[in-house]
Amino acid sequence: MNASASTRPDYSTYPRLTMAEARDAARQLIAMRGAGSTVDDVRLLSLQRFYAMEARLLDEERYQEWYELLADDLFYWLPLRQNRHRREGGDGADPDAMAFFDDCKADIAVRVGRLASGLAWTEDPPTRHVYVISNVEGFETGVAGELEVHSTFIQYRNRSEHDDATIVGRRRDLLRIAGDGYMIARRLVLVPQSVLLTKNLSVFF
Amino acid sequence: MTFNASSYVDPEFGSVDRRIFWSPEIYELELERIFARSWLFVAHESQLEKPGSFLTTYMGQDPVIVSRDAQGINVFLNSCPHRGNRVCFADSGESRQFTCNYHGWAFGLDGALKRMPKMGIYKATPGFRMEDWGLKRARVASYKGLVFANFDEAAPSLDEWLGDFRWYLDAVLDAEDGGTEFLPGGATRSVLNCNWKFPADNFVGDIYHALWTHLGGAEPTLGPHGGVKVENERSWHVSVNGHGWEFNDSFYGNAATMGDREVLRYMRSRQEAITKRLGEFRANMWGSVASSTIFPNFSFLPGYFTFRTFQPKGPTRTEIHAWTLVPRNMPDEIKDRFRRGSMRTFSPGGILEMDDGENWEHSTAVNAGWVTRHQRLCYAMNPQDEMAETGLAGNVRAGQLSDFNQREFYRQWMKMMDASSWQDIELAPVAGPAAEAVE
Repeated sequence: MNASASTRPDYSTYPRLTMAEARDAARQLIAMRGAGSTVDDVRLLSLQRFYAMEARLLDEERYQEWYELLADDLFYWLPLRQNRHRREGGDGADPDAMAFFDDCKADIAVRVGRLASGLAWTEDPPTRHVYVISNVEGFETGVAGELEVHSTFIQYRNRSEHDDATIVGRRRDLLRIAGDGYMIARRLVLVPQSVLLTKNLSVFF
Repeated sequence: MTFNASSYVDPEFGSVDRRIFWSPEIYELELERIFARSWLFVAHESQLEKPGSFLTTYMGQDPVIVSRDAQGINVFLNSCPHRGNRVCFADSGESRQFTCNYHGWAFGLDGALKRMPKMGIYKATPGFRMEDWGLKRARVASYKGLVFANFDEAAPSLDEWLGDFRWYLDAVLDAEDGGTEFLPGGATRSVLNCNWKFPADNFVGDIYHALWTHLGGAEPTLGPHGGVKVENERSWHVSVNGHGWEFNDSFYGNAATMGDREVLRYMRSRQEAITKRLGEFRANMWGSVASSTIFPNFSFLPGYFTFRTFQPKGPTRTEIHAWTLVPRNMPDEIKDRFRRGSMRTFSPGGILEMDDGENWEHSTAVNAGWVTRHQRLCYAMNPQDEMAETGLAGNVRAGQLSDFNQREFYRQWMKMMDASSWQDIELAPVAGPAAEAVE
């Protein structure tokens, strides 16, 4: 190992969830169906501002600043969608099943590490991103300082000459109020595609 | 079409004509001569434990239903013989029968036609027999949990097709008592704009790319410049009938890049027992720096235990379907660590897999150029390599930094593409320890 090896972050010390905590978080996300009372217009406006800012950080590849928005007990989940008959319950997300993302904050740090390594050739020259957020709805959770927020997104990527990918989806977040802003504590990303119609998910949602 | 595959592949020095990755005519012939007569992976038995359970998948571009009835596992075309409509649209589930949306023709778990609306009219039709109009069945055979199917009645048995490769397959399929299972929830599926052979040849023998392609993904878990140790000391290529496995003897070299110390601790705790079961040489293959393809399009990575098919969807389009395989008796917590570890490295959102797709897409797309298309590709690494002195079955070569398995993959491709029937295709005689399993 050369000298720089010792400066590598020790990801084992980064915030993690136990398996039980991750499962609880998944079940909490499944149960978030907008049952609480809706937030007032001032709160809604501040949520919209937060999402616009978050989208801009991701578009501009400011991943470290985006990472700072994540709570230490983050659970970040993009489950698979399956084609199942309605009589068998359709395609309800399963916390025990394979997924595209099933991450805690330490896992996100590793992903950011890949992008920051300067060695991810498929991101060099850089990808151009546009992230559109809409349909923002905020709900009270009954826990002081925590909000349930639903939104939709379009994430468009283009790189090289003709390579492009559009992912459209829905998010369910549990946000914590932190001063003028928010920390993301839970995020469920629901992409409607059962076969992902793009080659990779080298992006955050 | 008049086609001479041997003019497209030179398996001795190692070069391949790029038109085989681009030409629609060659692709059409592949569907007929490779996919319609090879044993193709369709399911793991753990996905179909109860009678009535089914899943849908593909054999080449042919959609099939894989279902279990009281007699066993059946594989048949997912296309109604009445007007051709797809019969089952679910990825998996449980059912007593499959009923076509179009006119309501209903088929049993073995694919046989059971009933349809206005059945009396057909019964009164001279020459119409229910047994003539079932869903077309494939031959089915399993090897230690992996279910394969074949539409060619003249094909040799699955045991002959896998041959001595079975002995190596046991390093992942029979390392522990109780067999293996696929983790639940179906496959991660994604689309690539590439020819199916690029991912298949990448898995059959290309550790070389990991040293460069995967630097960015490996650095966060293994340190600057990847830290992946790939050397030609104590490493091998083995090839049988185009199936290939490149590997070293590091026991958990691949698993280490998942960055989960608990997984490594668990694997270490099993090393002695697995060595006792399989012998030291094969035990060291269990999670080592390695990759493998079972010809033509079924691949896996020891260590991550991702098992995947590269489903052809046209000359320049491929779908990856991937599952994670674990020993059934592994503790649930370790299974869960493999679930998360394999998805974070080898799924469309995995930090290693994300760097592969773009390479294969552009290796395919540049062949739109007529001049480009006519320059051959180089598969000449280590052409003079020596037969390894292992005394082991199959075609074994020393050193994993080699194109040997890839040359053998294209040799098999060439043989099958040039042969008009199975009578003209010769498989390797079974010679090694796996011979005992052949009747």
